[in-house]
Formats: sequence, structure tokens, C-alpha cells
Amino acid sequence: MARFERIGRELRGSVIALLMVAATTGVVYALALSLEIRRGSAVYLLPVLLAGWHLGLIPALVAAVAGVLMSGYFFFSPYYSFYIARPNEFLHLVLFMVVAAVVSHLANSMKQQTELARKREKEMRDLYAFSRRLAVASSAGEIYRAIEEHLANLVQRKVVLFGAGAGEPGVLPEGMSLAARVHDAIAHVRDGHIPVSTVDDGAGDVWLIRRVSEANADFGVIAIDLGSVPAADIEEIRQRVDDVLADAAATLEHLDVARALDDAKMRSETELLREALIGSVSHELRTPLSSILGAATVLSNSPAVAADERLTSLAGVVRDESERLNNDIQNLLDATRVSRKQITPNSEWIEPQDIVNSALERRRRHLAGHKVLLDLDSNLPLIYVDAVLVEQAFVQIVDNAAKYSPAGSPITVAAKRNGSQVVLSVRDQGAGLSALENGQIYERFFRGQRHAATTSGSGLGLWIAQAFVNANGGKIVAASPGIDCGTTVAIHLPFATPTTEPEVGPDD
Amino acid sequence: MTEANPLALVVDDEQQIRRFLRAGLELDGFAVEEAESGQGALRLATLKPPDLVILDLGLPDMDGGDVLERLRTWSSVPLIVLSVRSNEAEKVRLLERGADDYVVKPFGMAELLARAHAAMRRYVRVSTGEPVIRIGPLSIDLAARIVTIDGERVMLTPKEYRLLQLLAQHAGNVVTHQFLLKEIWGSPHLQDTHYLRIFMRKLRQKIEADPTQPRILLTELGIGYRLVAPEIANPAPA
Repeated sequence: MARFERIGRELRGSVIALLMVAATTGVVYALALSLEIRRGSAVYLLPVLLAGWHLGLIPALVAAVAGVLMSGYFFFSPYYSFYIARPNEFLHLVLFMVVAAVVSHLANSMKQQTELARKREKEMRDLYAFSRRLAVASSAGEIYRAIEEHLANLVQRKVVLFGAGAGEPGVLPEGMSLAARVHDAIAHVRDGHIPVSTVDDGAGDVWLIRRVSEANADFGVIAIDLGSVPAADIEEIRQRVDDVLADAAATLEHLDVARALDDAKMRSETELLREALIGSVSHELRTPLSSILGAATVLSNSPAVAADERLTSLAGVVRDESERLNNDIQNLLDATRVSRKQITPNSEWIEPQDIVNSALERRRRHLAGHKVLLDLDSNLPLIYVDAVLVEQAFVQIVDNAAKYSPAGSPITVAAKRNGSQVVLSVRDQGAGLSALENGQIYERFFRGQRHAATTSGSGLGLWIAQAFVNANGGKIVAASPGIDCGTTVAIHLPFATPTTEPEVGPDD
Repeated sequence: MTEANPLALVVDDEQQIRRFLRAGLELDGFAVEEAESGQGALRLATLKPPDLVILDLGLPDMDGGDVLERLRTWSSVPLIVLSVRSNEAEKVRLLERGADDYVVKPFGMAELLARAHAAMRRYVRVSTGEPVIRIGPLSIDLAARIVTIDGERVMLTPKEYRLLQLLAQHAGNVVTHQFLLKEIWGSPHLQDTHYLRIFMRKLRQKIEADPTQPRILLTELGIGYRLVAPEIANPAPA
């Protein structure tokens, strides 16, 4: 293909050269006729020079031959014949051809040098930009992005970086898949068997696979699709990739990323273990708890116990305490779900007050010691949320209100519309919050110092509630005028309008 | 125990749970049979057809849902499922496969009995053709299609009445969104829960004393609706 293209290009160049010669002839002949001059052969150097400079050697040679023939035809006797009779005509021919060769060679090498200079300049610019990015990078992620982009720019091919950290799979760009052989080679390099490898993916592309840092396997592996390159070029590209990565690896070391990655790995393993433990222990606790709570309710209904007030209240204690234990277990399970990021809302359209009523119904026994005042707007818009998650969050807030306010004090539960939001709030007249506490209450395991001795709790409730509400696109806002002045905790949820309305005809 | 006592079949692999269920059910006037596996339950149910089945989902030999499905091929016995929290989708699936209701572990005996009685009453109602359901001041005459509150006629649109009728037919038990949507609007609208919400709001405005705090038409979040059990307003003999 390239061959045909080249021939085509030379042909086109030659035609243009001939046209230039013809044009020169036209001009010279017109001048010669009007001015009676019969000396014009030197003018034919012009098309030779032009062709040599712009079109290359062959068109220049064509121009030289044609020029000599033309000048012989018009300006040397015998006129109007291509016959080259005199030695100086032959000399002309040689001279023209030498000029053609020299000019085209000069032009060619100059073009090449310009090209090379431009390329070098771009590479320098890229490299400079790259080192600037490395210098300001504050996280491993930024460095990895910089490496990926820089190398992709350098080799003008696909570059995939397989992240640091154990077990983390490489993130492939959308719609891209790797051949099995490439995968194997990446795994081989990542596992530390060899620092660098080249592999043919079976479809004609050669991949260069290399550790980001020769010394430290934790920094991940980079895979570069080199396309179909001759073996000789691979070595050169590899050299350049090595240079780039040497800089990057130094920066990674410098950032102490190695240690951070190690820590993260260890932390995540500990975390996983802890959560697995919490999960299984919680399930194991649930079963006996179900028996205890069920048995307590049977006891309190049995005639023998029901007749004796002391026994009834004891059965009540068993029931209440096992319910509390059940809530704690539920919190542990929910906390595990939150920290594993397993909260995926299953949204549906719902009446906001249904959530409030359901939460209050679930906590009826718990709230028996308080006066619950309801302030629910009758015409709230529907909200599109996971009602079960939001209810769980609301239950946590109601629990807190009951827990941190004196027995018998009122708790006001409201559902209101506020602009484009529905606000579900719980106001108590209890312990309140200091400004400091207000900043900390959403933290996992946070418990107010003031309550440590008097009220039990895990410090998980509001943290879970917040995660559940956030997952539904809402937020929790707590406000308190100060210590012992009560607290209002509100769930703010955005609402939208259903896209379809039920068709209501006269018969509906 | 006399022959007239209704028979409850308790299916659970945990012995302690079976023990308290037996005690609670016997106190309530049931005779009790126990099975600790799915196969055992199916065998027992054919030998001595029960009047009520309490089915735990976590059985060692079979999936609880499969036990339910097998049982439903030849029996329409009232059946309550014992479920664990936070899996609404599973509850809906079981209700669609033929469970009458569910309770969430851990649960109190009173709650289980209320669900069980509601389910059993429904079967009695279907077999005797009892037309009128009374819940406190509300009376629904399913034969005459007349709804009254304190004797005063309530005017409902056809769809509102249909919604109330479906819930009344299952009074005391939960009815899933999907079932209601399919029965009222048809299969293409199974996901349009807001249709239900809008009609339920209208229905509550006509029936509830305070529509923001419904006492009769209750919402089961993530599952469906429940018309409160008639027993709560008009205690019926067990």
C-alpha cells in the first residue's frame, strides 16, 4: 500500500514539475518573441529548484530533464528540435540534475530536522508537564493518573494501570477487554515473578507490561498496548517508559505511599474480619433472643402469671430488655451494612406520614413514658424514598429523644413541607446539645460525655440514621438552643412529582 | 384438649422456638403438632390436615418458600411465615407465593396470634359467605357494596371501593402493593405505587377520623396495606 502511495505521490509531483516547466517555457517564449532574445536556458533552473524544494528528488530530476530538453528545443540550434548537439547543452543537463539532487536533499533533511525538533519540543513539554504534576501530586491516585496519561501520550496507544493494593483488580476503561494472555502476563508481573514482560495478545498487538516500581510490587503494574511494532522499536519504547516510571516511582516513594498502601491493606483486612465477626455473632444472638422474647410474651399472658402483678412486671422486664438487646443487635448489623457500603435504597412513592406513623407504632412501648404530640400536615407531597430505611432512621431519632429527655416530658413529632423538601422532625425537652456536641453527634461511636454514666448506648444510632437518610438523598439536621434546652432533630428529604398520574375518570 | 380444638402445625428447626410457640398456641386453645424440617412438615400436613401453619423460613432441608409452594398445591390452610427483619422483597415474594401473613423475628405471641386469627377468620368468611365486616364504627357490606361509618353511608368511587373491598376481604392480614395494583389497575401498573398512595389518601379522608393518623387503613412499609383486624375492635371468641 505504502509503495503505491509513494509512486502516486512521485507521479503527482512529476506532473506538477512538468507543468512548471511548461509554464516557464510559455513565459520565456513570450519574452523571447517580444524581446528577440534567444538566451533563456538558465531560467529553467527555477522549476528545478522549486520542484526540488517542495516535491522531492524525482520530480526535480524530471524538471531538470524537461528543462534541458525545452531549452534545447527553443534556444539552441537546431531550433525546434530536441536534439542535444552541443557539449554545453549536455553540461546544462548535468548541472540541472546536480542542482535537483542537492536542493531536494537539502530540503528533505531540513524538513526532517524541523519535524524532529517539533517532536522533541512536544516531548519536552509533556515531560515538563508530567514532572510538574508529579511535584504537586498529593496522593497516589494523582500520580497514577499522571503516569497513565503521560505514557498514553508518549506512545500514542492504550495504557492501563493496574492499581496498587493487593487483590484490587485493574480498572479497565469502559468497553475494553484484555486478551487472556495479557491478563496472565499482568498477573505474572504483579505477583512479582518478573519485573517486566512483553506479550503478543494474539491479535497482532504487542503489550509491554511492567511494574511501576522495579523495587516495590505494591505500586502496581502498567500495561501498554504498543500495537504492531517491530521488535527493534520495543527496546527503545521500553527505555523511554523506564525513564518515565523511574521518576514516578521516586515520587511515589517520596510520598510514603508504600507505607500508606500497606496500612490500608492491613486495615481493610482487620475491618473485614471484625465485620464478619459482628455479622455472624449478631445472627447467632438473634435466635435465642427470639425464643426469650417469645417465651416472655407467652408467660405474661398465661393465667398464673397474669394473676400476679409482680410476675407480670417481671415478664415485662424480660420482654423490654430483650427488645433492647434486639435493637442493639440490629444497630450492629446496620452499622456493618453502612461501613460495607451495602445501603442500596429500594425506592417507592410513599406518604411521609406513613413513615412517621409506622416508626411511632414500632416504638409505642418505648414511648409509653412520654407524651407524644403529633403535628402532621394533611396534604404533604409524596416522596420517592426507601421507606424502610427512612423509617429506621426516624426510629433512631425517636429513640434518642425518648432516651435523652425526662420521663413524662412531651415529644413533638412533626411532618411538614419546607420549600422543595419534606421535613420529618422530633423535638424533645431533654438534655439538649452544646455547640461542641452538635458538631460531633454524627460521628460513629460518639457519645456525649455528660451521659456516659447515666444512659447506655453504642453511639451508632445517629451515625446509622445519617447514612440511611443520605442514601435517600436527604440529610439530618440537629438543632438545640443549648444544654438542657431540648433538641430538635429533623430528616430533610427532597420530593419530586410522579411522572405519571393515575387516570381518574368519572367511574373511578 | 378436645377434638374441637383447631390444629396448628409449627414448622421450625429451633427447639426453643417450637416450645414457646406450642405453649402460646395451646394457651390460646390450639392443639399443636411440630415439625423441624420441610419434609416432615409436608408429611404431617398430609397425615393430619392442620387449621393453621406457622412456617419458619430457615429450615435445614428445604427453602421455606418451596415448602410453602408445595403445600399450596393441595392445601389452602391459613399460613403465617416467620421472617427476619430487613428483607422486604423476600416477604413480598412469600406473600405472593401464598403466605397469608408474616411476623418478624423476634416477635410477641400476641402479634402472631392476631395475624393467625385474621387469616383463619378469612377462610371462615369465605366458606360461610359472611358478607359484613365491622371494624369499630366502620361497616363494610361486601354483598350490598355499602360502606357506613356509625350507620352513615360513605360514598366511594368504584376504585376506592375496590381498594377497600380487597383489603376488607383480607381484613387483619397484609395485602401487597403488587396484588392491589394488579387487581385495580392491571398488570402494566405493578410499579406505580403512587397510584395506590393517591387513592389511599382519598379513602382515608373518607373513612379515618384523622387521615394523618390512620387507625383502620394501616401502611406496611415496603410491603403493602393492612386493614386492621376486626378482632381488635370486636373481640371474637378464639
